[in-house]
Amino acid sequence: MPDELVNLTIDGTAVSVPKGTLVIEAAKQAGVLVPHYCYHPGLPVAGVCRMCLVEIEKTPKLQIACATQAAEGMVVHTQSKQAKSGRMGVLELLLINHPLDCPICDQAGECELQDFTFQEGRAKTRYSPDYAKRFNPVEDFGPDVLYVPNRCILCTRCVRFMEEVVKEPVLNVSERGDRAFIGVHPEARLDHPWAGNVVDLCPVGSLLSKDFLHKARAWELDKTASICPSCSQGCNVSIDTRDEVVVRLRPRPNLDVNRFFMCDHGRANYRWMNRGDRIEAPLIRQPTGAYRAVDWDEALDRVAEIVRGAGGTAVAFASPRASTEALFLARALLAGFEWTGAYQLVMGDTAPLAGVPNLALRAERAPNGTGADLLGYSRDYAAAAAIAKTAGLVLVLDDPEVQLAPAGPLVYIGTVLPEDAQAAVRAADVVLPTTNCAEEEGTFVNRDGRVQRYWQARAAPGMAQPAWWVLGEVLARLGRGSQLTSAADAFERLAGAVPAFAGMRYATVGARGQNVKTAAGAVA
Amino acid sequence: MSSVTPLPSGAAYEPVFTGRALEQLQQILPRYPVKAGALLPALWLVQQARGFISDQNMVEVAELLGLTPAYVRGVVTFYTMYHLHPVGRNFVQVCTTSPCNLCGAEGVVEAFLKHTGARELGSTSPDGRWTISEVECLGACGFATPVMINDDFVEHVTPEQVPEIVARYR
Amino acid sequence: MGFPHKPHPRETTVLSEHFGDASTRTYAGAVKQGAYQALAKARAMTPAALTDEVKNSGLRGRGGAGFPTGLKWSFMPKDKTKTHYLCVNADESEPGTFKDREIMRWTPHALLEGTLIAMHAIQADVGYIYIRGEFTEPWNVMEKALADATAAGVVGTAKIVLHRGAGAYICGEETALMNSLEGKRGNPRIKPPFPAAFGVFGMPTTINNVETLAAVPPIVARGAAWYKSLCLSNPKSTGTKLFSVCGHVARPGNYELTMGFPLKDLVFELAGGIAGGRALKACIPGGSSVPILNREETESCLLDYEGCVEQGTMLGSGGVIVFDETADMVYQIMRLARFYAHESCAQCTQCREGTAWTVKILERILAGSGKMSDLDLLLDLSDNMTGKTICVLSDSCAAPVVSGIKKFRGEFEDYIVGRKRRPMVA
Repeated sequence: MPDELVNLTIDGTAVSVPKGTLVIEAAKQAGVLVPHYCYHPGLPVAGVCRMCLVEIEKTPKLQIACATQAAEGMVVHTQSKQAKSGRMGVLELLLINHPLDCPICDQAGECELQDFTFQEGRAKTRYSPDYAKRFNPVEDFGPDVLYVPNRCILCTRCVRFMEEVVKEPVLNVSERGDRAFIGVHPEARLDHPWAGNVVDLCPVGSLLSKDFLHKARAWELDKTASICPSCSQGCNVSIDTRDEVVVRLRPRPNLDVNRFFMCDHGRANYRWMNRGDRIEAPLIRQPTGAYRAVDWDEALDRVAEIVRGAGGTAVAFASPRASTEALFLARALLAGFEWTGAYQLVMGDTAPLAGVPNLALRAERAPNGTGADLLGYSRDYAAAAAIAKTAGLVLVLDDPEVQLAPAGPLVYIGTVLPEDAQAAVRAADVVLPTTNCAEEEGTFVNRDGRVQRYWQARAAPGMAQPAWWVLGEVLARLGRGSQLTSAADAFERLAGAVPAFAGMRYATVGARGQNVKTAAGAVA
Repeated sequence: MSSVTPLPSGAAYEPVFTGRALEQLQQILPRYPVKAGALLPALWLVQQARGFISDQNMVEVAELLGLTPAYVRGVVTFYTMYHLHPVGRNFVQVCTTSPCNLCGAEGVVEAFLKHTGARELGSTSPDGRWTISEVECLGACGFATPVMINDDFVEHVTPEQVPEIVARYR
Repeated sequence: MGFPHKPHPRETTVLSEHFGDASTRTYAGAVKQGAYQALAKARAMTPAALTDEVKNSGLRGRGGAGFPTGLKWSFMPKDKTKTHYLCVNADESEPGTFKDREIMRWTPHALLEGTLIAMHAIQADVGYIYIRGEFTEPWNVMEKALADATAAGVVGTAKIVLHRGAGAYICGEETALMNSLEGKRGNPRIKPPFPAAFGVFGMPTTINNVETLAAVPPIVARGAAWYKSLCLSNPKSTGTKLFSVCGHVARPGNYELTMGFPLKDLVFELAGGIAGGRALKACIPGGSSVPILNREETESCLLDYEGCVEQGTMLGSGGVIVFDETADMVYQIMRLARFYAHESCAQCTQCREGTAWTVKILERILAGSGKMSDLDLLLDLSDNMTGKTICVLSDSCAAPVVSGIKKFRGEFEDYIVGRKRRPMVA
């Protein structure tokens, strides 16, 4: 049944929205951001901060936009004298007990209290120095969350998140009146696997991440859209970097995958992206056993030579963290062999987010297991290892754990050089440095068959290149396709060759993702 | 803030809801369509049994009613009649809101503080018998000054009557 | 009744006729006085007819809002598909008001009867009587009365539950009361949804004040026309009201008067005026949340909903607080602001922070550190606190401040310029 539309006017702009739309959401369509704190599209409406006061014609009192439904013919003024005065009043009252310690507050630069005060607040205080500000000490709520009560504006987003989205009310509002604060029970910490989201939700610097504490200023950060690589859920994230170092992961909204949230495991799991022990240059093994650093041309020529000279069986050990493009091109490279592809999956405990359907920290602790499956890789690692012993060619794609001593040639495309003498890479004939998912563009396919793009967040170290480029170059040298000049190119070649991806392009995947096709042709 | 009421070291927690108290709670539960509706009555039963509501009591109540301890704590700290810490044997509430204030309520407070040895509001007298508090409107403005001593509601209290009241309750 | 004093001839004792009569508390005693006959009559009527009768009587909510009772009942769904609830608001905490306590401890069966009649009108399966925690005597009386009435069979298939509050004025706000019943913090809810559609436990609910319900059996027994005829001034305000008179009067107590009665007569004649021959300085006619009247306004005010509005105040709960010439208006207004600051639930920014700041400014003025600009600050702050929050506690704090500054500005200025000093009570 199609949604009935209502027409209303907001600050002079006419908009049409489905019946039941909140005025605060309808305003977005008119290009109007109504200042607010307690409202959040991922949480039930509270209507407590009173910041979103707007004037609605024919209604005597100011109304809160977050709890008022758009009605036919409604005329809303967000910038009227009355509305602005009401909001200025709210801001003044939020600031009277606020410590104004922006210079030492992590939220500075991405603080909604700063933003709206600058936009609509009072220039001068009427409170200080005549009256003392409320003071309470900082509290440690749990593994990653600090609570600074002095900065808290009691918007209750954190309480509502734990109660309605996590379904475990471990945060409360304690006491009453201006003595109120956010509390925990002493015998329960804020250690739920999804608790870190309260830090994102907090509009001010009251709930802070210990991991991020005093690490960087918000305006120093570059933010890049990406996909969390810690499990197969494929939560959309933003990788925040400061001078090419990843300092933080935060969720990026995607209503079809992770809504506005990500789990603490994924959130904390970014340090590996900054690892310094990287393979810096292409390496070719000498007859003595030592490796000689070479330039790309020489290395790629050598690989092409190896492939040309090999035959029979071939095994590809891939990381389920490799991009779909890389996985495809690796398989493409081994066309003409009797090939086996395999990947290892680290498994862990699942941790669902109870209030959101189909969202959890997944047992499969890698982002592209499904991509690997669709491209014909299997999880039977042992079988592949057995074949590899006598295979004509072994290709390892960023899997430092694999331990092999193959009789035939081994080409290793990877990021790190493990110490372990048994590691496969130590037996490699050619070692090619590649980028990790923070240093390249590519796609992952999540457990639901959703192809999602990620973008490059930091510069690649040394001479490292994306695996799709490396494999594309080898294939070109073998006369099997032109050089690939972009990840988009690589994806197009993949889409052209693999039915599940038929018709897909980076443009169609966009920033929201697109589902692969099932065998019957329907979208997965 | 989130202060813990610690158990004396080595003491095991003794549940409140056994025997009679449990029977009473079980009679109360069907009066509400959801268990959470019985929270305020349950907290009253705890306070009646133990004199105050400890953090461990909150855990017990939470488990019984399918709630979290944090949730229960949020409710307990909202309502001023629930005590989070032990109080004197006689808990005195004197109304000093404007209608009673006009009729000399503050003098009654002074008199109680003086004659019980509880030096300041909210703290317990050295002999453990008295805690004096000022409260908001007790709904007996025409009978100023009303004073509650535990569950007893005493009307028309003047400072002059306080010594006799204190002696009576000692 | 001017209870606890003897009834004054100018009173119209409908609800308070038996105040002070211990036998009225007993089932047998109450029945002898006619209790539960109206209930039988009501149960023979259809809910719609019963609701109409109450509508026609002109009965309006006696808790403070003055909303027409029959109209409120009519908001409940006519087709019953869900459990319906009646909540009886016995959380009486409005400073100056002490009438519901008397109704409960002297005429518990009148309240039970009114509750049962209302439950029939709105097809309620369950009635919760929410009694504030401090009312230990009314609780015991109601508990016994309910047990006796149940044993006698008059309660029938209806289920009435007594629920004890735990110290929160805000739980007298109808949506906060519902939240408190549900075992939550007593936070008022945003409306819509309205209780008749989505109330306690998410079900259709009506909330009525104790005095309102106590008036229902007489209306059913004697008819809407009779109740409507009890009216001295404006036909929109009918029936009787218990006025709780307190403060600087010789005979504080509850006086039951026909709507439209002159406030001046209540204070000076019925309540005996002010002791020691002192002059009246101010009067709050409807509980502390309504604007303060000065002497002239007090002398012109008629006690009904419209009459009070004409004088720039409201009838509210009918708690009449009398201030004589010795009253320190600044101090008393500060004490009222302290009340509201203590009772704020903490949801809305303006109330949570504004009530506390109001107190601080007034304390500073009283301490001798105030500035003239503080008065403008208070007025501006009060304006920010009015009409912008989930419930009206914030507005209620602003009312005495605004009316106080307007009508007693001189007393504030006395403190500010140092003409008056006061040692602060700790």
